[in-house]
Amino acid sequence: METMQPRRRELLPAMLFAALLVYAAWPWLPFSRAAAAPPTIVFYGFSILADVMQEGIFPAFQKQWAAEGGGPVEFVSSFGGSGTVTNQVIMGVPAQVALLSLESDADRLAGAGVVAPDSWKQLPNAGVVNLTPFIILVRPGNPLHIRDFQDLTRRGVRIVHPDPATSGGANWAIVAEYGAGARGQPGGPAAGEAMLAGVWKNVVAQAASARAARTQFENGFGDALVTYEQEAISDRQRGKLAAVPVYPSRTILSEHTLVVVDRNVRPRDRALVASFVRFLWSEEAQRIFVKFGFRSVHEPWNADNPAFGTIADPFRIADFGGWRKARREIVDDIWKERVMKRPAAR
Amino acid sequence: MTATVTHAELARRGDRAAVPVAIVLLVLLPLILMPLAAVFVFAFRGGPDAFLGALGSREAQFALRFSLLIAFATAGINAVLGTYTAYVLSRYRFRGERPLGILVNLPVAIPTVVVGTSLLLLWGPIGLFGRLLEPFGLQPMFAPAGVLLAHLFVTFPYMLGAVKPVLDEAQETYEEAARTIGANRWQTFRWIILPALKGGLFSGALLTFAHSLGEFGATVLVSGNLRLRTQTAPLYIFAQFEAGNIAAANAVAAVLATLSFVIFFFLLRYTGRRSR
Repeated sequence: METMQPRRRELLPAMLFAALLVYAAWPWLPFSRAAAAPPTIVFYGFSILADVMQEGIFPAFQKQWAAEGGGPVEFVSSFGGSGTVTNQVIMGVPAQVALLSLESDADRLAGAGVVAPDSWKQLPNAGVVNLTPFIILVRPGNPLHIRDFQDLTRRGVRIVHPDPATSGGANWAIVAEYGAGARGQPGGPAAGEAMLAGVWKNVVAQAASARAARTQFENGFGDALVTYEQEAISDRQRGKLAAVPVYPSRTILSEHTLVVVDRNVRPRDRALVASFVRFLWSEEAQRIFVKFGFRSVHEPWNADNPAFGTIADPFRIADFGGWRKARREIVDDIWKERVMKRPAAR
Repeated sequence: MTATVTHAELARRGDRAAVPVAIVLLVLLPLILMPLAAVFVFAFRGGPDAFLGALGSREAQFALRFSLLIAFATAGINAVLGTYTAYVLSRYRFRGERPLGILVNLPVAIPTVVVGTSLLLLWGPIGLFGRLLEPFGLQPMFAPAGVLLAHLFVTFPYMLGAVKPVLDEAQETYEEAARTIGANRWQTFRWIILPALKGGLFSGALLTFAHSLGEFGATVLVSGNLRLRTQTAPLYIFAQFEAGNIAAANAVAAVLATLSFVIFFFLLRYTGRRSR
């Protein structure tokens, strides 16, 4: 009788685990699998791309590829801070196509020997797929009356900022803040540095990616968030924007660079990947980007989205001599070495 | 000592327990109970339809299934490896026995992020072995194999910890008796040792399973976090939460939490019965 009792008791966990195993293995069981696995494209993207790629671009390309007689195609994707994605690709994740927030991450890939130097410049539009300006998000009603980057330097404004070590957006934001100070002002570079120092003494939280920074802000941290315009637009379209976008008079338009990691593309997938890469600059894809709040590289298509705000003096990274120069002079020398080491920044 | 405590004495202690128990509950409420409740509240905030919708997404389903499969595989493999290691450590006397005993328990002490890093530096495409495997097209990292390796590493001591004490306590006289009537080592193990180990194996496998289901630190590094390929349920929760899709994150979190409750319940019931 001692042996019967435990046996019945063990039946329940045994059944539960058997059920779990069947559930877990179901898609891989021989009779549940209809067809052989279709070819895949492995796509890595920086954080804010997740929605537009999964809900817009991937389905549209799948439809087009099937219509062209290519059959079904599957997307395997991963999204994170641009710097994180870059590090993962260097470490050897099987990314075939990566859309990075900034060109200096592509440079890092070239430096690590993952892609040929400047290989992305042979792509349409020098590899830049889409754009979005950097803006400020503030709390409803704008209680602190923040109108421009200058207002972020005021005492007591608490800023949520992505972390430049892992986030491409954070690097753009730094150049935006620097440029807003330096452009058209008598002080020039000194005014830019002063602006950066003023903003960064107020940074209270740093997140790994622009997306994560926005989640922190949404969860109630801080008074202001420096981020991509696209974030604000896509949130408003989903009716979950609990913040007010503020358009600075001067800010940067970020340009997002595509790289193709040839060594991860098997010969039989080359045509497929090349077709997907071309598709990203097609009118259909560009209009999808616009619908999701990105600005197209083809200016006229931007009229599709009335949500885009106007900026008096938009500037580009080329105005600072490109990312190679800007990274060295603005991010590394001024921000990292001078601004962050100022006693006031602590 | 406990044997001298009568039931009447225990009952009297129970009367005086009200205040201390209330204090413990008061501490546990914000520390443990309320955060757990918040997961369920948020998961069901949009109603059952929204919950099922979030749970039914292809990525959520993949993440849950992938996590369960890895947990089953980890529990199965470590049941064998852990039992064998415990058997060797318990039944053989050799030089370096103590260092080996410490070594096999080391994974509990190492931060999981360090485990992930070290696996990458060994098996990753730029790692010591990984570099040699690369030309053959073998790439364990950023693939399910890498996740499994990480989980085997991290959970190794649990099986050992559950089985070895039972082996140490078991009377060797039965094994000697079995051998004197001509049983070989395997037969002795199969018919004498294994039946005695059943309880330890069960609780060790449950612990391993539960831990694998929740593993995050090492997995996030070695998996590459690929949706529909290597993204486990905890990674899915983290990614969705970071992206602001709190409903999607919480639906899976609620399922994981429920699963761990059930596993823990079985574990308590089983070990509770054995110790009584």
